[in-house]
Amino acid sequence: MKLPHRFLCVITDDHRCPVELARLALDGGARMFQLRRKSASGRELFEWAVRIQELCRQHEALFIVNDRVDIAMAMHADGVHLGQEDLPAAAARAMLGPDALIGVSADGVNEARRALEDGADYIGLGHIFPTYSKDKPDPPLGTSVIGEVKKVVGLPVVAIGGIGPDNVEEVMNAGASGIAVISAVSGAQNPTAAARNLVRRIWQ
Amino acid sequence: MKAQIQHLPRLFIVSSGREHIDAWGLAMQQATAISKSGPVMFQLREKGLEAAQLYNIACRLRPLLDTSGSLLLVNERADVALASGARGVHLPESSCPASSIRKAFPGLLAGQSVHRIGAAVDAWKSGVDYLLFGPVFATPSKERFGPPQGLEELEKVCRSVSIPVFAVGGITPEKSFACIEKGAWGIAAMTPFLDAGSLPATIDKFRCYLPS
Repeated sequence: MKLPHRFLCVITDDHRCPVELARLALDGGARMFQLRRKSASGRELFEWAVRIQELCRQHEALFIVNDRVDIAMAMHADGVHLGQEDLPAAAARAMLGPDALIGVSADGVNEARRALEDGADYIGLGHIFPTYSKDKPDPPLGTSVIGEVKKVVGLPVVAIGGIGPDNVEEVMNAGASGIAVISAVSGAQNPTAAARNLVRRIWQ
Repeated sequence: MKAQIQHLPRLFIVSSGREHIDAWGLAMQQATAISKSGPVMFQLREKGLEAAQLYNIACRLRPLLDTSGSLLLVNERADVALASGARGVHLPESSCPASSIRKAFPGLLAGQSVHRIGAAVDAWKSGVDYLLFGPVFATPSKERFGPPQGLEELEKVCRSVSIPVFAVGGITPEKSFACIEKGAWGIAAMTPFLDAGSLPATIDKFRCYLPS
């Protein structure tokens, strides 16, 4: 599945209704949406995912499920995003087939190279800047690693971690294909406006 | 798959749920003990593990369980079950709909936990291969599922569906017999099987009260 060019991916937080957030983010121009809620039941995830996939189709955006390959397969999502603690990408690829989009989180060249070998379509690289969305003991990577991973591994890089309007330009100039955000959109008073602002800056 | 269901083992062992604390510990010991006695159904129910860890442990358990003809079932995660070569997936009541799982994972055996007769009938109609019904008797580990349902309710469930029903909740070897009399296919439990050292003897005790 083909990734969009210079895009915003919005990821759910633990507070806002995922379906409502998807609607608002897509209205603001997000081209990819990721459902991630570790505390939700399988039933909840499935019901949300079905509705979000429909919204994404209407907006010609991609929908991916975090971690839960089973949910993605049960409701025919466009793909999955896998962290280092999730199923190996190779196992997911074997089940999902060649057409599904598979993203893998990496913190540098080594994990990114492994993701490539496992059949990933893109690298979720982070965290680039300090972030409070997740409990991250490691220091931020900075933007220079984006070009490094892109050059060595050759897969599109989606930058994640502490990205907001003020540093989008730096991330895109470093060679990112897109950015993924949680709080910058879900935590905004007006998520649609926040998404629109990020998309505008992605293209600047 | 229907033909094989006739031959599901009668004893259903649920893992401790403590593998995230005691990594590579008890489940492997249990599977090793089972490999010398089996066959049983073994449900890997480890909600504290991330998918990668669950996958790794399932991959290690499977060959051990295979040697006794036991069936490995992964709790909730059909993806982990398929990737690890497990025989099936066991769905909690709040899982992704069984009918969707069935379609997406046609090669897996699929069972579901139910706590009321209505849910049992719904699950049967959605196409699952077997049910876990309970708690039949009082048990601390199942208190969150409400008061015990009792043997009469178990009997009603067994008469209302045409798939194997495993009774769960406060089951002892002696009580297994009463469950079978009410129409249960087999019994499921966690606590009696936590001591891996005495597991073969415990399995034998239960088998005395279960049809062969």
